[in-house]
Amino acid sequence: MTREPSSRDENLRKSRLVFYENDVARLNSEIDTFLELSKARCALLVDRDGHLVTRRGEPVRTSEDTISALIAGSFAATREMARLLGENEFAILFHQGSRDSIQLQLIGERTLLATLFDGRTNLGMVRFYAQETAGRISEVLDDIHKQNRSADLKPDFQSSAEDALDKLF
Amino acid sequence: MVQINFAQKTVNVKIVYYGPGMSGKTTNLEVIHQRAPQGNRGDLTSISTDGDRTLFFDYMPLDLGTVAGMRTAFQLYTVPGQVYYNSTRKLVLQGVDGIIFVADSSASMMNQNLESLRNLEENLNEYGKSLSTLPHVIQFNKRDLPDAMSVEELARAMNPHKAPQFEAIANTGQGVFPTLKALAAGVLRNIMNESGSKGTPAPAPTPAPAVSGHAPARPAQQRPAGFPQQAPAHPMPAYPPQGVAPAAGAGFFQGGPGPMPQGMHPQGGQPGGLQLAPKMQPGLQLAPSGGRPQARPISMGEGSAPARPAPARPRPAPKQQQQQRAPAPAKAAAPEKSSRGRLTPIFIVVGAGAGALLAWVLMSVL
Repeated sequence: MTREPSSRDENLRKSRLVFYENDVARLNSEIDTFLELSKARCALLVDRDGHLVTRRGEPVRTSEDTISALIAGSFAATREMARLLGENEFAILFHQGSRDSIQLQLIGERTLLATLFDGRTNLGMVRFYAQETAGRISEVLDDIHKQNRSADLKPDFQSSAEDALDKLF
Repeated sequence: MVQINFAQKTVNVKIVYYGPGMSGKTTNLEVIHQRAPQGNRGDLTSISTDGDRTLFFDYMPLDLGTVAGMRTAFQLYTVPGQVYYNSTRKLVLQGVDGIIFVADSSASMMNQNLESLRNLEENLNEYGKSLSTLPHVIQFNKRDLPDAMSVEELARAMNPHKAPQFEAIANTGQGVFPTLKALAAGVLRNIMNESGSKGTPAPAPTPAPAVSGHAPARPAQQRPAGFPQQAPAHPMPAYPPQGVAPAAGAGFFQGGPGPMPQGMHPQGGQPGGLQLAPKMQPGLQLAPSGGRPQARPISMGEGSAPARPAPARPRPAPKQQQQQRAPAPAKAAAPEKSSRGRLTPIFIVVGAGAGALLAWVLMSVL
């Protein structure tokens, strides 16, 4: 059954989220709880644009930025598949490896929870607790969105970034 | 969409190289990867076909380091240029902050350039965006081709929004960095405008380049001596095709055509300009390109130490939070389910024991 995205989800998707310390602390707390219950190795919260929001648990072996970009790409491709098949989207993806596996869970309209786990737990446990956690994280993201805070970057951010790029090349 | 994370002190910007097939998008990324200091570049990851064409995207994070207290990174993507990959091309545009349109200067590629530009606008519209407001830069690549069209002709057809434009021979590295820097300046200015802070004021319009912080001063019309002679004027369709001219000054970039990069020295170049520097590994590869150094791990989590919580520790805080969430009864009930789940084995054992005892009593009585 397809589900039309709510206007709240639509707003979340279109507006930029600015994360402050207490926001990320709340997200981290939820993810820590999830990792403890599910016995998964590591969880990454990734923006659908491919940006990493936070990572908890064991560090991943490779670049977290690259993994995040690929997670977002993978989910985007699957969403397109779902659309072609008449579904709104596939909310959960699972990739099984010989040692590690990864489960991707959509949270609201714009965030993905990627869970890496191994033989210490199983897919059922991860899926059950990921679904619970998705609901709670969705509420936190909603709170962040409601606060509608601006990003108070320092006035010299632009010129400093341009200087940094000049130094690189 | 720019992600600003004050907890991790990071700013992440998404930049996409767009353009027709084989126009040099991946080459741009490869040149940046080759020349960026090792500490600032991540892996160049490519999802490509057997024929070495980009299938989904190429991706490379470029870390500028700490800028005004925030670690700033550009996430650089390319899209597959071939027409039949439009669905994947559209996906890569999700959340894009700035576009570098890589056009092929060859006269024979004009229609493909225009088709790709139209397709870009259509795909952006699906995300509620448009080239008229989104920071973008046009790169006229393969200037060393014998049938390269003049910059004026190319600009007339492909740059209705008067975005900064640059000549390039990407496989020699010429024009790659001025293009990236000009777009970065546009995107950064956009961030500052949206964040409400006062950034560097936009430079004056025509004839000064719209993005001139470090952009070269050579006017667009000038061609470096030694560049191949311009091809004669070609009759060509204009973009947008319906003849819808953009409102003057309505675009993100004000003023006339941007500058051409400095340092565009004539170098013999490789005729054809199509043989790209390093080749990706053949086959559908979803791993860092062979032989390339590993990216510096970028820890965005809390510290680099594993943060797995101590097991079996009761978690009073989250439960309190859940109790406070009155409007979501279903979710509030969820943790109950989990503690019940943990007690289930005890119930089973006790039930089985009681059943066995009852059976034994009944058998004894009978």
